Amino acid sequence: MFNSSPITSWEGAEAIFSYADSPLGMAVCFWIMTAMLIVPLVVSYKAEEQAEIDHQ
Amino acid sequence: MTPEEMQAAIEALQGLSNTNLEIFYYWCTAIMILIHAGFLMYEMGASRVKHSLASGTKNVLAFAFMIPTFYMFGWLIYLSFWQGFTYDPVWGEFGLPMSAIMGPNMADQATGVFWGAFTLFACTTASILSGAVIERIRMASFVVLAVILGSVVWNLAASWGWHPAGWLVTNYGYHDAVASGVVHTISGFFALGVLINLGPRIGKFNADGSANQIRGHSLPMTITGLMLIVVGFFGFIGACVLYNYGVGGGWTNIYGGPTTLSAYLFNTLMAVAGGIIGCYACTRDPFWMMSGALCGVISAAAGLDLWYPPLAFAIAFAGGYLGPWAAGQLEKMGIDDAVGAVAVHGVCGVWGLLAVGIFLGGYPGFSSWDGFDVPSINMTGQVIGAAVMVATGFIPGYVLSWIFNKLGILRAGDGVQRDGMDSELEGVAYPEEIRSQ
Repeated sequence: MFNSSPITSWEGAEAIFSYADSPLGMAVCFWIMTAMLIVPLVVSYKAEEQAEIDHQ
Repeated sequence: MTPEEMQAAIEALQGLSNTNLEIFYYWCTAIMILIHAGFLMYEMGASRVKHSLASGTKNVLAFAFMIPTFYMFGWLIYLSFWQGFTYDPVWGEFGLPMSAIMGPNMADQATGVFWGAFTLFACTTASILSGAVIERIRMASFVVLAVILGSVVWNLAASWGWHPAGWLVTNYGYHDAVASGVVHTISGFFALGVLINLGPRIGKFNADGSANQIRGHSLPMTITGLMLIVVGFFGFIGACVLYNYGVGGGWTNIYGGPTTLSAYLFNTLMAVAGGIIGCYACTRDPFWMMSGALCGVISAAAGLDLWYPPLAFAIAFAGGYLGPWAAGQLEKMGIDDAVGAVAVHGVCGVWGLLAVGIFLGGYPGFSSWDGFDVPSINMTGQVIGAAVMVATGFIPGYVLSWIFNKLGILRAGDGVQRDGMDSELEGVAYPEEIRSQ
């Protein structure tokens, strides 16, 4: 669906990872990963706050 | 340097290279045994005390039966059925148990280490089935099912989709670098077929269809076992690459396409992390958090050679959400999968194959075999491959277990289940004062 290949041939290929030729594609992936690191911490904080209340 | 001296130096280097490669694959195979140590701990910990030894015994027996049966016919099937159900006698000859290279042979440093690595892949498929069916399957029937899965079914699928000339690869551009489909989807859906006929553990479901949670006796043992499986995965992944096999030499994926060990390390670590964090965010359950490592690696495995590492993380994170959700859906359907094997391996395996179609379209196809014009990676090829893997796993698992069930040899009786599957074995797992609830 998303054509992420930076190469059209394997001959002489170097950076072959997806979106290697697309700074925008890499930036989107990078910020999605960043969000995926933050959201679980927020979820965890909320659950711990609720546990503090439940155990008072 | 004279031409003769140059030739001698080249031959010496070639010999050194072969020896180094033999060492590499030898230790990959040894590290892969940690997968089985991990599955052993995982399953025993996930069992109640009265079933824990039987769960471990079942797992170890599957491992032991897999090795000779893979020698007898498993390797032969992988090498010779790449066209579909048509036997290739030329390649088949290399896998026959009476072949000159199927034993110590000073002219062949490759066959033993590759056979060993593939045997350990086969053992992994058996371990995946083993966890799903704990606490009620009969030992001998389980071993037969495990042998069919590990020494016949998965290697047939691997010959089709994990081989430089496999028909799924050469006709459709199917890409499954580290076996999301040919190991995990196959095993997960084989397990689903067996679970439908095996039925749930006593007490799992109430009369109104609602489910009870049956806790294993040692969650710390289960979590530690899962971490050992992660360690073993690095041997598994190392054994999925080949050397000096494709264009220009160097490391290649299983199809002969160029790659590096660095590519696999980047993305495997990212996938482990993404899966753990995704499962933790979704469940906050320690069991699922650690199972998330498997969800993550399996979700990213098919494209481990090509992902941009943050994308591997994101795909694994999504797999970390998908695994527990799929397990919940199966439970609502009345399927008792004791460790979530169908969800983790089967469903996340399918997700991994589709993720390659979604995100890795356009990569040029490659086969180290001459005469094939392999299509680029594409969504259609991945969907066809996923459907083939689901069907190739599910149908034999369902049919064989249906036959066993009709013969009355699939499920242990209610009395044995109530007293504990360990009651059929010699020995006890723990001192008698430690009892299962």
